[in-house]
Amino acid sequence: MASIKLYTAIFGVLMVLSTMQAALEFTGLLEEFYVPIMGVMLLLSTIKAVSVAGWYMHVFDEPRAISYLAIAAVIGVLALIAGAAYSIT
Amino acid sequence: MGENGHLPPKSNIKRWLVTTNHKDIGVLYLITSMFFLVMAGILALLIRAQMWAPGATVLDPGGYYQVATSHGFLMVFWFLSPFAFGFANYVVPLQIGADDLAFPRLNAMSYWLYLFSGVLFGISFFQGATFMGGWTMYAPLNAPAFIPNYGHVGSFAAILALVMFTGSVTIGSVNFLTTIYRMRAEGLRMRDIPLFSMSILLTVWMMLFAFAALLGALVILSSDHLLHTSYFADVDGNPSSGGSLLWTHLFWFFGHPEVYIVFFPALGAMAEIVQTFSGRRLVGRKWFVIAMALVAIQSFIVWMHHMFLTTINLPIKTIMMVTTIGISLPFDLMVFALIYTMIKGRVRWKTPFLFVLGALLIFIVGGITGVFLGAIVLDYSFRGTYWVVAHFHYVMASGAVALIGALYYWYPKITGKMYNEFLGKIHFVVAFVGFNLLYFPMFVVWETPRRMFEYSAGFTFWHRVASVGAVLFAASFVIMIYNLFMSLYSDRVVDDSPWAYTGSTEWAVPSPPPTENFPGTPSFTSGSLRFLEGPEATDGGVEGEEATPDGGQVTAAADHGEPHPDHASWWPVFAGSSALLAGIGLSGLSPSMFVWPFLFALPAFVYFVGAVGARRDGFTVLHGAFLSASFLLLAVFIALFHVTQGIITGLESAPTYFWLALAGAVLGVYTLVRLGFESFYVPEPTSSAQWPFGEVENTKLGMWTFLGSDIILFGAFIGSYVFTRFEFGWQDWWHVAHEVGGLEHHPVWPGLLNTYILLASSFTVVLALVFARRGVGTTEIGPLSVENRKLTLGFIGTTFLGACLFLLNKGIEWVDLYFHQGWTFNADIMSSTFYLTTGLHAAHVVIGMMLMLFLMVRSYTGAYQGEDEARTIEYFGLYWHFVDIVWLFLFPLFYIL
Repeated sequence: MASIKLYTAIFGVLMVLSTMQAALEFTGLLEEFYVPIMGVMLLLSTIKAVSVAGWYMHVFDEPRAISYLAIAAVIGVLALIAGAAYSIT
Repeated sequence: MGENGHLPPKSNIKRWLVTTNHKDIGVLYLITSMFFLVMAGILALLIRAQMWAPGATVLDPGGYYQVATSHGFLMVFWFLSPFAFGFANYVVPLQIGADDLAFPRLNAMSYWLYLFSGVLFGISFFQGATFMGGWTMYAPLNAPAFIPNYGHVGSFAAILALVMFTGSVTIGSVNFLTTIYRMRAEGLRMRDIPLFSMSILLTVWMMLFAFAALLGALVILSSDHLLHTSYFADVDGNPSSGGSLLWTHLFWFFGHPEVYIVFFPALGAMAEIVQTFSGRRLVGRKWFVIAMALVAIQSFIVWMHHMFLTTINLPIKTIMMVTTIGISLPFDLMVFALIYTMIKGRVRWKTPFLFVLGALLIFIVGGITGVFLGAIVLDYSFRGTYWVVAHFHYVMASGAVALIGALYYWYPKITGKMYNEFLGKIHFVVAFVGFNLLYFPMFVVWETPRRMFEYSAGFTFWHRVASVGAVLFAASFVIMIYNLFMSLYSDRVVDDSPWAYTGSTEWAVPSPPPTENFPGTPSFTSGSLRFLEGPEATDGGVEGEEATPDGGQVTAAADHGEPHPDHASWWPVFAGSSALLAGIGLSGLSPSMFVWPFLFALPAFVYFVGAVGARRDGFTVLHGAFLSASFLLLAVFIALFHVTQGIITGLESAPTYFWLALAGAVLGVYTLVRLGFESFYVPEPTSSAQWPFGEVENTKLGMWTFLGSDIILFGAFIGSYVFTRFEFGWQDWWHVAHEVGGLEHHPVWPGLLNTYILLASSFTVVLALVFARRGVGTTEIGPLSVENRKLTLGFIGTTFLGACLFLLNKGIEWVDLYFHQGWTFNADIMSSTFYLTTGLHAAHVVIGMMLMLFLMVRSYTGAYQGEDEARTIEYFGLYWHFVDIVWLFLFPLFYIL
């Protein structure tokens, strides 16, 4: 189990990344570069999610099978979203 | 010994209400599902009576559509899978060498939710009319505007019954996954578990993910009924092409795996029975297992072959055609493995084998005719005809026929008596002839439109043949019920294994097995089954005398003063019945009234946590605070109720449905509190095979598997949002909400603030866990020395406070959007997706808060101080962090992009 200092540092990073997401909206870049900025937004959310899962939920310390379980569910979701969205292109 | 250790005898009805033992629950599943089989079978006979002549008038059109729809619902949901899970409950723990399932009370709750969901479905017939839009519930036939007025309440009750059923399935999936992964006998490798248990493992994996998608679809549909959101029909109640397509995607993402969910247990039983009655190990066993696993994975990438007649594009249809043809290949392998095993072995033509052989023949016909439907061009002609009806029944009913074989196979194990072999064979002949007379003519007159009772007069002869077949098929079950019932009272007593060449563990114990299954600790470390004596064996200590699968000498378990496992609890049956009450109530409530019964239940929950906690741990200041807070909270809700409804007029005009929902909600929260505080001892095996989750405790694995299901649930919601927005025009989304929906402004700030709050609450949960793990003692914080117990409590309390702030912020935001800007639930599809998706997340926050209230009361008394004791906080933390993670994606999707 990680130390309180590490948990605090992760908390700080999560807050900064969230602020960056909102800041990107305020810069107005989204209007001009919608798709790349959307990609950055989702990437930032993914980094935050992996950080919470990895350290706060201790996935990094658990057997790999726990990660595979979660990844399998995420792949299922992505298959549904991608398949459904592509079907109407 | 735990207070719930003793079970009354089987002759006492109380036993069947309180039991949590897997074998009792298995028997309950079998009997209940047979009841639903009879119910659905009578509906099928009504269908065939209507089809005796074209346009027959046995039933009026509305009645016929209800009958046809209900027949599908009952057979697919309330008979087939639960029947298979009756065997799974009874047999899987025995086969893998476990004393019971990992969570016995949850297993009982799963059963009671199943039973009462079926009761709710039955009640729906008497609420005007039940759902009549077909078992696939296609949009817009499932939307309120397309349901006749007299059937609104009953249709919604049927949808809620499915929601309850889905809850039951999810709980069951979590339970079986945890059990099979964590509670196998020592030395029993994953790859070596018997084929029936293997099939159940793969089935519950599919169930975990597929039913979560169905739950998502049903909750969204419920919202269209209750909140008048506009997912599946537009805001004016007109059909919405995007909504119709969205439903088919969600439904078939569940629906195709569902075919294998229904069939896999039957396949596992077929493999077991073929092995036993051929006297030979399954040929290509390893490849058989790999093929099953492949099908389980592939089942999630073929769903659009049910949608060839929709507007999806040709490339995706082609991809789905290829994956569909691809999925037939592993099935070919499995069929050949079964056939070759029979050829290589020496077959004994007993009743179970006859049914399995019949099922295999039926399945082959079903499989071949299904390939036609997988080809795009052929499907254009066959879709919506009796070809589909015939194919579908040849596949699904082949599973049922195999499971009837399984019933004959395991009947001696369950009852200790042998059935009448002659009557069994008569049953097979009548059933096989009846089945083929019933369904094969449907291929001949395949041009008959599905779900309709008008057809060309030239088809009359074949439809009459089918109707005669239906009567024969139904009559065959009368023979079976007579045989099995009379055999219970016969003198044909069987020993451990009435069959020669059985190879799995259930046949090495008496018939029926004792409550705790085994005479010692089962072990496969030597390569074959042995029972080791008592608890020492778990440390690698003394071994007892050996038992053999054919009923050799066994060793009695030594009594070492260990606490006895508990087997009885009243709370699961109360959980199921309170869900039934709440479901009936909810089905008849208007949008303005539906939330109040559940809000009034919240103060009741706070009160019960205080009162029941005080009785268990002794009265403390915190218990007093809870009791006081409950009255304060009740006063707040009564005031709010008065503002919106007026107390006198509101209660006077409240329908009976309101009081039923209130009773269900209050009984429900009371049940959950009693469950939470109940002392119920279930030992975790200390010497079992646990790959690949060796270091993960049962409850933690249970929580993770539940979260896996929750990922799919949220995925269905987010996927619906993405699909709808994509169909609408991604970047036009918010502009249209502003121009058409009346949305004036939708700032980022509330979303950002809630992100900060949730991240902070995740941080405080971790800190609560840190200080709980430090155990009893103090921590120096600067000049202060603070008790770890107080720090644990303080950080849980801070997390609770964060959740309150989150909801307060959301409440302020919603009031502004809904009331001040007039952006209501059905203003446009943008508002529907926004409120419902973030609302589902808020509901998760509320559930987390209820759990935290429980944790606070217990942590106040120091219940969680210590490495082991802190695990409860860790399990809660997993849930809470997950809720946080979901928000991390909702924030950009709904507030920025």
